Amino acid sequence: MTEDRIGRSGFWFLASGFRYDTRTAWLFLSPVMAVLGAVTVFPILYSLYISFFSLKLTRPQRVPFVGLDNYLQVVQDDVFWDAVARTALFTVVSVTAVALIALLIALLLDQSFRGRRLLGALLLVPWAIPSVANGLMWKWIYDSHYGALNGLLLQLGAIAHYLPWLGDPHKTLLLIANAFVWKEVPLAAILILVTMKAIPADLYRAATVDGANKLQRFLHITLPSLRPGLMLVVVYVAMVAIRQFDLIFLLTEGGPAQASQVMAWQIYVETFRNLSFGTGAALSYILALATFALAYFIIRTLGQRL
Amino acid sequence: MTVLTATRDSRSARYRTRSRLAGLGRALGLFCASALMLAYVLGPVCWMVSSSLQSEAEITSVPPHWIPDRPTARNFLAIVERPAETVTYETRAKADPSSGGYIPSTARNLLPAMGNSLIVAGAVVLLNLLVGIPAAYALAMIRFRGRASSVYLILSTRVVPDIALVVPFFLFIRKLGLLDSLGSLILTYLAITVPFSVFILVSYFEGLPAELDKAARVDGCSRVQALIHVFLPLAVPALVAVVLFTFLASWNEFLLALMFTQTIASQTVPIVVASFASDFTISFSFINAAAVIAVIPPVALALLFERYIVAGLTAGAVKG
Repeated sequence: MTEDRIGRSGFWFLASGFRYDTRTAWLFLSPVMAVLGAVTVFPILYSLYISFFSLKLTRPQRVPFVGLDNYLQVVQDDVFWDAVARTALFTVVSVTAVALIALLIALLLDQSFRGRRLLGALLLVPWAIPSVANGLMWKWIYDSHYGALNGLLLQLGAIAHYLPWLGDPHKTLLLIANAFVWKEVPLAAILILVTMKAIPADLYRAATVDGANKLQRFLHITLPSLRPGLMLVVVYVAMVAIRQFDLIFLLTEGGPAQASQVMAWQIYVETFRNLSFGTGAALSYILALATFALAYFIIRTLGQRL
Repeated sequence: MTVLTATRDSRSARYRTRSRLAGLGRALGLFCASALMLAYVLGPVCWMVSSSLQSEAEITSVPPHWIPDRPTARNFLAIVERPAETVTYETRAKADPSSGGYIPSTARNLLPAMGNSLIVAGAVVLLNLLVGIPAAYALAMIRFRGRASSVYLILSTRVVPDIALVVPFFLFIRKLGLLDSLGSLILTYLAITVPFSVFILVSYFEGLPAELDKAARVDGCSRVQALIHVFLPLAVPALVAVVLFTFLASWNEFLLALMFTQTIASQTVPIVVASFASDFTISFSFINAAAVIAVIPPVALALLFERYIVAGLTAGAVKG
């Protein structure tokens, strides 16, 4: 090998150096590629394959090829479109609320005052909490007999008697969204805050010299400069919201009367309760594509306007 | 002369009072805003902790006791002390949930579940480092054909929703005979952790000077030696962030664990805690105590390593 190298021309040596690096690079990358290939790429392709078969665990011997029938069957069902509408509502409400609350918190933490560091650290608590604890915590807060929400509102005189919050089909989805927002706000606030800190102080100084007041400075300097941070928040929260499962499972199991049946919950019911893996795979494929499309759409439209 | 100083004094005095007033107003505003934020962020958690320290009689009072009158550690002790007593129809009737507070015999499961969670999280952390470090080094320090597309491929796998992987995962895991084993969780958690780990490491490595790599190579280091002796010591903050994120993600994960675990042989903390909540006879205060136990490790880690976490979370945020 070494003798070979010495014997060849300088040009060959350069070329081999490049090739050698490429080979090392791929050697270094091979574990990650093997892992991701096995646990993400292959499963998602396999899922596409299953979605063309009528695979039911109640009837495991016969798995006929049905083409696009699973997709057609799903799309022609009103249950699906109801779930889509609920998912859209959940996502839009959550994203808006997270962005607004996180912006307020970032504005507060951007000030310099004593205790700011402690506040910033405590902000991480909701982020770190397991979704199970988050779900059970809010379920207990919303409890119709002994919950904190009922107790608080009664003590404040806002309600005359305890209400079954999660049992009200008009409120369920929004209450679940509230629990979701509470957990997602910290990360969003941190992302917005770091973008805020990156705004050059000169901009504010120049605006002040030009006679801009606080509100004008916020509207014309802070908000436009926050665009990348806000974008990241909107895309990230939307992608997490559209696939939300844990809170639905823990708080309502899709109820009452399907009032909180979002797409992720429909996939779960179809797959693990109806044991219909073919339609389950078709549904999850639709959700995965919707996620991609959503991210793309947000980046294209909002990215230009925000 | 004296007149002039007098007016100047009074004017500056007026200015001082006004600025002091403004400062006071600002302090007051900041204080109120901070209090509001704290109430929003910590209020729900405080209520959970308060509930976990109440007896069944107290927790069912209307309106609720925000601070327990007679705090009790009974719910927490039950997790370690409870003897292996099976619930029969007789014992169940004796422990009337409405009067006495029913703590399930499955309370014992929390300790082994913590063991399971620790093993899974530990293995996932190790595998992430093993797989992620060389990949990040290659992507950040070596120029090679296919580099950009590799970055895109790794990052795009992060967009795939976990629920979309559930169906194929379940079929694979069943085929491999790994249902109800820790292996199924370790394997599938790689899908949700590896892309982000690589992302954090790459953005950190890219911030290190490329000259370091060249210098190490000139001094006769191989790529592997350069990575181990030069880059790893410098990348400690990013490594800490990866360890933390991966650990928290594995400890907190719920959906996949729900699909693949069936018994305490593989059930993790979130699954055991959730199983308490689905039983209507179990005391509310006990469920809250179990939730508190699930919350303590991740929250303690987050508060201890706050700097690393914030730095890791914001790694690529400014770049967009």
